[in-house]
Amino acid sequence: MGIEFKNVSKAFGGTCVVDDLSLKIDDGEFVVLLGPSGCGKTTTLRMLAGLETVTSGDIFIDAQRINDIPTQHRDLAMVFQSYALYPHMTIADNIGYPLRVRKLDKTERTARVKRVAAMLEIESLLDRKPRQLSGGERQRVALARAIVREPRAYLMDEPLSNLDARLRVQMRGELKRLQHQLGTTTIYVTHDQAEAMTLASRVAVMKKGRLQQFDSPMNIYNHPANRFVAEFVGSPSMNFIEGSPLTTGIRPEHIQVLSQPQEGAIAAKVYVTEQMGNETFVFLTVGANRLIARAPADFRAEEESQVWITISKDKIHYFDPVSGENASPQESQLNLDTVSTTSR
Amino acid sequence: MSRKVAQSIRYVLLTAALLFSLAPVYWMLTISLKTEVEQFASPPSWFAFTPTLDHYYDAFVARGFGDYLLTSAIVAVTSTACALIIGTLAAYALARFELPWRLNRRLSLWILSTRMFPAIVTAVPLFLMMRDLRLLNTRASLIIVYTGFNLPFVVWMMRGFFADLPRDLEEAALVDGDSRLGALVRIVLPLVAPGLAATAVFCLIVSWNEFLFALVLTQTDAAMTLPVGIAGRVTQYEIKWGVMSAAASVAIIPILVFALAVQKYLVRGLSMGAVKG
Repeated sequence: MGIEFKNVSKAFGGTCVVDDLSLKIDDGEFVVLLGPSGCGKTTTLRMLAGLETVTSGDIFIDAQRINDIPTQHRDLAMVFQSYALYPHMTIADNIGYPLRVRKLDKTERTARVKRVAAMLEIESLLDRKPRQLSGGERQRVALARAIVREPRAYLMDEPLSNLDARLRVQMRGELKRLQHQLGTTTIYVTHDQAEAMTLASRVAVMKKGRLQQFDSPMNIYNHPANRFVAEFVGSPSMNFIEGSPLTTGIRPEHIQVLSQPQEGAIAAKVYVTEQMGNETFVFLTVGANRLIARAPADFRAEEESQVWITISKDKIHYFDPVSGENASPQESQLNLDTVSTTSR
Repeated sequence: MSRKVAQSIRYVLLTAALLFSLAPVYWMLTISLKTEVEQFASPPSWFAFTPTLDHYYDAFVARGFGDYLLTSAIVAVTSTACALIIGTLAAYALARFELPWRLNRRLSLWILSTRMFPAIVTAVPLFLMMRDLRLLNTRASLIIVYTGFNLPFVVWMMRGFFADLPRDLEEAALVDGDSRLGALVRIVLPLVAPGLAATAVFCLIVSWNEFLFALVLTQTDAAMTLPVGIAGRVTQYEIKWGVMSAAASVAIIPILVFALAVQKYLVRGLSMGAVKG
């Protein structure tokens, strides 16, 4: 089901949390709202769910304006960060709750709960209470409760943030798979850019209540609209070299570190290296600038040792130092002097 | 060694506390079972006396204490139920809905303030109101007054319990398609059941033992509660210690049974919110 935000704003007291947000989400899309805490992404999701009122603007689901429709009649399903499982009910009752309030008869209810439980491999837990479950299991139950009926859209508020790293990656994959299977529009809120990159068909990056960019993950990564997006997406973060008239941005993987001088290479000093196992992050000092480069796993260098770097010219971004907007010319012309000579 | 001493002191103190609180009850029980002659024996016969059920017969068969008991039960249970229903809904609204002009806080304080003056202050106005409503000497008058009397307590207790509950659960229920009231009944109330039980016990005890309004608003057997009935045996000519003790001993039982029945909730209810978990 298509969802549209039209000039939506939300203010709490005097503070504007979501500022003039316009977003059009197509049917079946997996859209991730990405941003640091306090950027308004969760408020946006809660407005869509009807848990917060809209201060101004309109929200549409399937061209139907839903501003004044109460939560329970919006026909959405939501997975909460805390999972919000009902502690006094068994897992089966938890999953079956949306069906029970819709007065579905008991046999049909049991059948559907079983089917969803099988899908998420939690059949053995149906008779237990939420407190007897591990974090990962609770997560699955919360998901099961959302998909047990066919809502118009799934809303997910940082559903993986309470899981440990290994489980998070596993559930991430399962979520993606599940969404492809169900084909239901999903809106997913996270501050984890890796989740955004891997899950989304399109990512909406937000900052201080304003939409920064709404595009496919690859376009967000390769053509960030502004310095904030460039910095927020990608790990380690993009390197920035302040300069005039433009600030230069280079991703760590676009800096090659050489132990021998080469034509066109720039001299740099190693500040420290971090071995990640599959690769090595090299922190470099170039003139007055600090840069991070990705190097192969077997790269070794002493601290303060002399190295040389080359930069993939066509991958360099330029940003307006005042507005932060991406100001890269279509044909980017690298002027290596800006790298070696700029100083703060 | 020091642990043993501490243990002993604890038991001594416990025994003293038990003696202090239970001795009058024991005294009352024995009086209710003694003949009138033995009641005034000096020194008093603590244990060695011939028990008799005469006073119980006198109170509940010969006199109308059975009716008083029934009235007390009807008034206490009904007013507690009314106070719980109205108070819980009010408390939920105060805890969850943001009212304009900071009304949440102001209304709560206003509700509490109705309990800040002595009960006797309202006795005369209430008497006049009940007279005009032709409700004097009816159980309804007591039910209305006790409900009003217990409401602030229910609102304040339940408001605290609701505030401690994570909002996520109700929001999840709403998104799942349930109404506000449905979420309250199916999700919220089961989770605050211990608090509800504790509150119910207090309301019940207050209504059961209430004396002042019952005395002012009822003069005939039609709507006399046990406390007033018992006090009525103190007359110009004699004090019926035996009948009074027998009636009072029976009066203890319902509350005792109810408190025991909800005991497992009671402790959790009273400490709810103190510790998360």
